[in-house]
Amino acid sequence: MIRTSRPLLALATAPLLLLVACSGGSTAADDPSGGGAADGTVKVTLTDDGCTAEPNSVPAGPASFEVVNSGAGAVTEAELVNSGGRIIGERENLTPGLTGTFSLQLEAGEYTIQCPNAATETSTFTVTGSAPSSTEDPLFAAATSGYQDYVKEQVADLVAATDAFAAAVEAGDVARAKELYGPARAPYERIEPVAESFGDLDPRIDARIADVADPATWTGFHRIEQALFEEGTTEGTAPVARQLVADVAQLNTLVQTTTYQPADLANGASGLLDEVANSKVTGEEEAYSHLDLLDFAANVEGSRKAFDLLTPALQVTDADLVATIQARFEDVEDALAPYRRGSGYALYTELTPEQVRDLATAVDALAEPLSQVSGKVVGAADR
Amino acid sequence: MSSTRPSRRGVLTGAAVLGAGGIGAGAGALASRPAAGSPAPARTVAFHGDRQAGITTPAQDSLVFAALDVTTRRVGDLADVLQRWSAAAATMTTGVPVGGPGGVGGAAEEPPQDTGEAHELPAANLTVTLGYGPSLFDERFGLADRRPAALEELPALPGEQLDPTKVGGDLCLQACADDPQVAFHAVRNLVRIGRGTVRVRWMQLGFGRTSTTSTAQSTPRNLMGFKDGTANVRAEDTADLEEFVWVGGRGAPAVDQEWMRGGTYLVARRIRMLVESWDRAPLGEQERVIGRAKESGAPLSGTGEFDALDLDRTVGGKPAIDVAAHVRLAAPETNGGVKMLRRGYSYTDGLDLATGQLDAGLFFIVFGNDPHQQFVPVQRKLGSQDALTEYLKHTGSGIFACPPGVRPGGAWGAGLFS
Repeated sequence: MIRTSRPLLALATAPLLLLVACSGGSTAADDPSGGGAADGTVKVTLTDDGCTAEPNSVPAGPASFEVVNSGAGAVTEAELVNSGGRIIGERENLTPGLTGTFSLQLEAGEYTIQCPNAATETSTFTVTGSAPSSTEDPLFAAATSGYQDYVKEQVADLVAATDAFAAAVEAGDVARAKELYGPARAPYERIEPVAESFGDLDPRIDARIADVADPATWTGFHRIEQALFEEGTTEGTAPVARQLVADVAQLNTLVQTTTYQPADLANGASGLLDEVANSKVTGEEEAYSHLDLLDFAANVEGSRKAFDLLTPALQVTDADLVATIQARFEDVEDALAPYRRGSGYALYTELTPEQVRDLATAVDALAEPLSQVSGKVVGAADR
Repeated sequence: MSSTRPSRRGVLTGAAVLGAGGIGAGAGALASRPAAGSPAPARTVAFHGDRQAGITTPAQDSLVFAALDVTTRRVGDLADVLQRWSAAAATMTTGVPVGGPGGVGGAAEEPPQDTGEAHELPAANLTVTLGYGPSLFDERFGLADRRPAALEELPALPGEQLDPTKVGGDLCLQACADDPQVAFHAVRNLVRIGRGTVRVRWMQLGFGRTSTTSTAQSTPRNLMGFKDGTANVRAEDTADLEEFVWVGGRGAPAVDQEWMRGGTYLVARRIRMLVESWDRAPLGEQERVIGRAKESGAPLSGTGEFDALDLDRTVGGKPAIDVAAHVRLAAPETNGGVKMLRRGYSYTDGLDLATGQLDAGLFFIVFGNDPHQQFVPVQRKLGSQDALTEYLKHTGSGIFACPPGVRPGGAWGAGLFS
């Protein structure tokens, strides 16, 4: 998912623009609000033959688009694509008779109206005025460099917390090691997809006993967790702690030079939620310490960070999706809030099945729209 | 549980018993025979129309039924999901993926809009039917004054041991198709579309329709091995549909909520059959309990499947159809003329882990325009007097208001939220 030392690809040649009005929902065509195109509105009509814009040229500045499916069975969406191949506005799921709208600020240049599945999928659209001269998409550049900073910061915290944890383990101080275990887990869980991109580093750091072919080769956090929380001892774990410190240091070295694509942020955000849904909400991740909710919260924080960084760029193409995802992040945070205990969380074993199900429902509700983000941040040219 | 259940084998008559029948509250004893030479079946059922499909539609082979709860308080989100559901259902019922012909593919970076497992399968007569549960009309969405009087939670009824995880729901989706994969695909995709707004509360897969809802269909057998639904209201029985099934029909009760005109009410009951006991019952006992002959399906008062019940006929001084026989107690004649449209399916969910017995039976679905005057009194009687009750246990239950059909360009929820 994440590649090391890969330069940032400038996917777009035109800058992304600020959204003025919201993307409207879909309305039935016979609804008064979905009537004829108002003044200054570009009407895009979908048919099985293709999609045409009327007018097909507007001056630079704010523009509203009204997409009408006038009976096309096969075509249900229209996209406005800039000369760099990026979708900058779209309406989807328009079945025959439905109308959808979107509004944005347009810079001068040549654009394409695209409607997948039509006999003719594209038509040209022109914005007149002075042309911009940007070669890189500043919103995405800000997102990816911001994410790089975030990962470095989290891994720095991870190094410090792991060193302290490992010192307690090596000193044979079970009580202290137990205290320091959670604080070391959180920064790792926030950036787990990045760690997973480095081959066997993640398995060495974070494997559960069920993940390893031979329990004798089991290393990392959970190996020590079992000794501390199940057996109440640090016996035999000093070498494991030393290896963990070395592995985390190696991760720290790697993330100093790792760069990210916008899609990495999107996929990472989704991947973190799959982690929550498949191992945290089930209580499998922290089988001995039962600190699953702490990991859960850290996964969600990492996911939210990646999404928040993408938001300015995503706001331009799909403000509705942004609003939905933000609302559902809040739902997940609200669902988790009652279990906060000081700097940590209630133990997983304190939850009733109904409470677990409510948490899982909130996570699934968020993961679904979040899974659509990666498609929004890659160029339409890749389609 | 009722303590007045008839004891098993309590009334084994030595009479020549002949008959058949089926579980379920009574429906009309309409002695119509299947029309000869039924038309070649079309593989698609229109989604749009004055009535929802999946009610009088000739019963398909399999069912996926889902009861859902609304998890949001944002009423706009609910209306939006209902609209998106209508669009997706309209698409899927024509055999086209969600999102159009390209819905199973798309950009490499995006999850496809359609889950894909029905791709290149025929529409298989898929129908999707929506219902609203009483709980939808609480304080959450401002719909309290929209609740029809008939949409009241079902009272406690004899013969039930409800599993709390299989009861109720703010909404229901009934997907029926001749291919179980097509039916499952429909519900799966609708659930996916609704994620964040609704969640599945309980679900039931059904197979082998147990009802005949058209004169063109032969009568199927339920898991008791008896023909079920011989005397059912059928799509061709227009007058009965008006009076007993459609809200606002000719002869039907007055309409108190205009948005329900042309709709109907769905009652679902997950009826577990105690098949081990049933299979140990002698044939004579089975036939006495049902009131029909097992092989032919004829009522014990007659000789052919479609012979009308003769509840007065005696054989050797005893009623030909036992006083506690299922068909007698469920018959319209003994229920003030009440008829309903049954549309149930057999189900199995593996084992009852506590006993190792098979968990199998009938997922009973019945449509009517006044369930509290139709289903409830009939079931109250059956649950306390029906000889068959000894072999049954109602374990799941729900009541839902199915709005009228969706017109082209319209959507589910339009009438409710207007």
